[in-house]
Amino acid sequence: MGLLKGKVILEIAGLKKCHGSKVILDGLDLEVTRGEAVVVIGPSGCGKTTLLKCINGLESHQAGKILIDGREAGSPGFGWHEARQKIGMVFQSYDLFPHMTVMENILLGPVRVQKRGREEAAAEALALLERVGLADRKDDFPRQLSGGQKQRVAIVRALSMKPELMLFDEVTASLDPEMVREVLDVMLQLARAGMTMLIVTHEMEFARVASDRVVFMDGGMIAEEGKAGDFFREPKTERARRFLKTFYFRAD
Amino acid sequence: MRGLTERLYKAGILLQLLAFVLGLAFTQAAFAAEPGSLAAIKAAGKIRIAVFADKPPFGYLDESGKNVGFDLVIARRVVKDLFGREDAVEWVLLEPANRVEYLEANKVDIVFANFTVTKARAEKVDFALPYMKVALGVVSPDRNVIRDIKDLRGKKLIVIKGTTAETYFAEKHPEVELLKFDEISEAFQALTDGRGAGLSNDNTFLFAWANTNKGYTVGVPSLGSLDTIAPAVRKGNKELLAWLNGEIRNLGKEKFIHKAYAEALAPYYGNSVDPEDLVIEGGEFR
Amino acid sequence: MPNSGFEVLLSVNNLRRLAVGLGGTLEIALISVAIGLALGIFYGLLLTSKNRLVYGLCRLYLEAFRIVPVLVWLFLFFFGSAIVLGVNVEGFFVSVAVFSLWGCAEMGDLVRGTVTAIPLHQWQSAEALGLDKWQVLRFVIIPQALRKITPPAVNLVTRMVKTTPLVVFVGVTEVLRVGKQIIEFNMMKNPLASFWIYGFIFMVYFLICWPVSRFSKKLEERWAF
Repeated sequence: MGLLKGKVILEIAGLKKCHGSKVILDGLDLEVTRGEAVVVIGPSGCGKTTLLKCINGLESHQAGKILIDGREAGSPGFGWHEARQKIGMVFQSYDLFPHMTVMENILLGPVRVQKRGREEAAAEALALLERVGLADRKDDFPRQLSGGQKQRVAIVRALSMKPELMLFDEVTASLDPEMVREVLDVMLQLARAGMTMLIVTHEMEFARVASDRVVFMDGGMIAEEGKAGDFFREPKTERARRFLKTFYFRAD
Repeated sequence: MRGLTERLYKAGILLQLLAFVLGLAFTQAAFAAEPGSLAAIKAAGKIRIAVFADKPPFGYLDESGKNVGFDLVIARRVVKDLFGREDAVEWVLLEPANRVEYLEANKVDIVFANFTVTKARAEKVDFALPYMKVALGVVSPDRNVIRDIKDLRGKKLIVIKGTTAETYFAEKHPEVELLKFDEISEAFQALTDGRGAGLSNDNTFLFAWANTNKGYTVGVPSLGSLDTIAPAVRKGNKELLAWLNGEIRNLGKEKFIHKAYAEALAPYYGNSVDPEDLVIEGGEFR
Repeated sequence: MPNSGFEVLLSVNNLRRLAVGLGGTLEIALISVAIGLALGIFYGLLLTSKNRLVYGLCRLYLEAFRIVPVLVWLFLFFFGSAIVLGVNVEGFFVSVAVFSLWGCAEMGDLVRGTVTAIPLHQWQSAEALGLDKWQVLRFVIIPQALRKITPPAVNLVTRMVKTTPLVVFVGVTEVLRVGKQIIEFNMMKNPLASFWIYGFIFMVYFLICWPVSRFSKKLEERWAF
């Protein structure tokens, strides 16, 4: 999967986002093509999470465009409501709905938003749960699951909408170390199956193995991007080098 | 039961302020309409009279829930003389604290509820001629009867907080040591336990209590200034007031209040009480 | 049991009158609870409004019912309507109006507190699924809020039931007043009547409020998450 191969599914041009006088995103450009797994890394506060939330309109932006399949998200003919059905998102905090069982969590979107038949959607949900090894937990409530299991369900819930693009916002950051692996395995599996993914993470090893491309953000802009292997072996910019160094220093 | 009345009355002061502010601008208009006039009452075919439902022997409900009592005997006669029949009336049961407001809000035509005439109230309602007088009394055990305030030297007198009796002794006889209670039942319990030499309250109330509690006497039957009790109408309802005063004078000619006393009060007070201590005929009070 | 006072409870007439009084009290309580809680949910959502004017007006209403005692509201409506508007509104309707408004105010504040206590990411993850605002409320926020709000709402209901005897001050025949009438009628010959009558009323209120709070406990256990 080369850098420019395939059809562009997400195109971000000149995205600008401010909180009062504080600039969070400063004219950011980014393209993601179908089937690509892109990892976004960068120091905390660089705007990674905000970027993801802007893409599906959970946060508003002041300037620039976000195009999904060539159409501008949030424009009159293509509102956020429509755009969100093409974009799945998994958050850092366990965001399952606590009053619903695993199955009810998964079916909410397909049945209520996409108006699909409950039986058909349930069968598909069960197949997805099978893939993440949680089919036997379909009638449990979130409180009965471990953090890792919750995140796997959250991934299934997002997938059940048949999204064209998946956003992952530090989904392993709140997990106990022994549960990180099970979630990353699911994501790796997804990437290999050709899902288009935009992943914010601090798991460098995962980024190296799973991603087609690494985007390094700093100060609300993309400071450097490249193939995972190249980026980790030989970062081009001083800022990226410094970031990776502190990171590995911490890891040693 | 004037004591409790006073207490509840005080609790209603806030309400009165609010009602006053609200009513200020509209008073004139409301009064001009005069919906409680004699003609209006006659046209309605019934009169609305406010009475007590839990103040025996003046206004209360008997076992079957019927309105009875001293006030009711007189009020029924008034209804009969107005309409020719006793049942052309709507009894409105109220609490002591609300009597003025019920008239001000024109929710009743006459209040016949052991209504003590005071200056403050007379500014807000029009009292008719009185039919009864009350004063303070002191009840004490037969074996050690208090017949005079001097007998209370060095002893404790039981009173109920917020009552006229409390104010009277605090102002006029500060030398008497008072033992104060919140509740009537507590106060009488204290008397029967011997925690005080006597208990002071409205004499009518004490007469009734002494009559049913053997071994106690109202040794001081009349103390302090005499208060009168009268029916009241809405302020400015001159027509009804004049008719009611005429009615009370007429009732005096046949000594009707004495009959009401014999019917409603005597069973409560027993034979030891002189009706002349309580009854006013024809509104003539010296 | 001569003079124990218990015989006041053996009189069919007394019991019938107490029952009628209780009926009056409960009727007002139940109607007001139903109206108050239903309106309170919508009012609570208004209270979460970011529009300053809407929020300000809603807040004013809430504070008015917080600061001014229910008794004063009863008087204001009962006598105020007569003095200011010249309309004689029956005590029953005044009571239902005041208790409904009070219930609505308190319920609204509970709803507001509960809705705002639900974490932002619940909103966000629901919106990210493509649910519109109304769907987020209906499927995610309100069901969670309902579970959280049940204990304090039940508390509010029992508070309302226990406060309804105040309606006696606007001329409604209610159980405590009937009790007092019976006690006063028996006062001289039966000083202990008050013990039995109030004891009886206490039992009745206990029997009303206790199952309600048991029920809410059960719901809480079943809904725990």
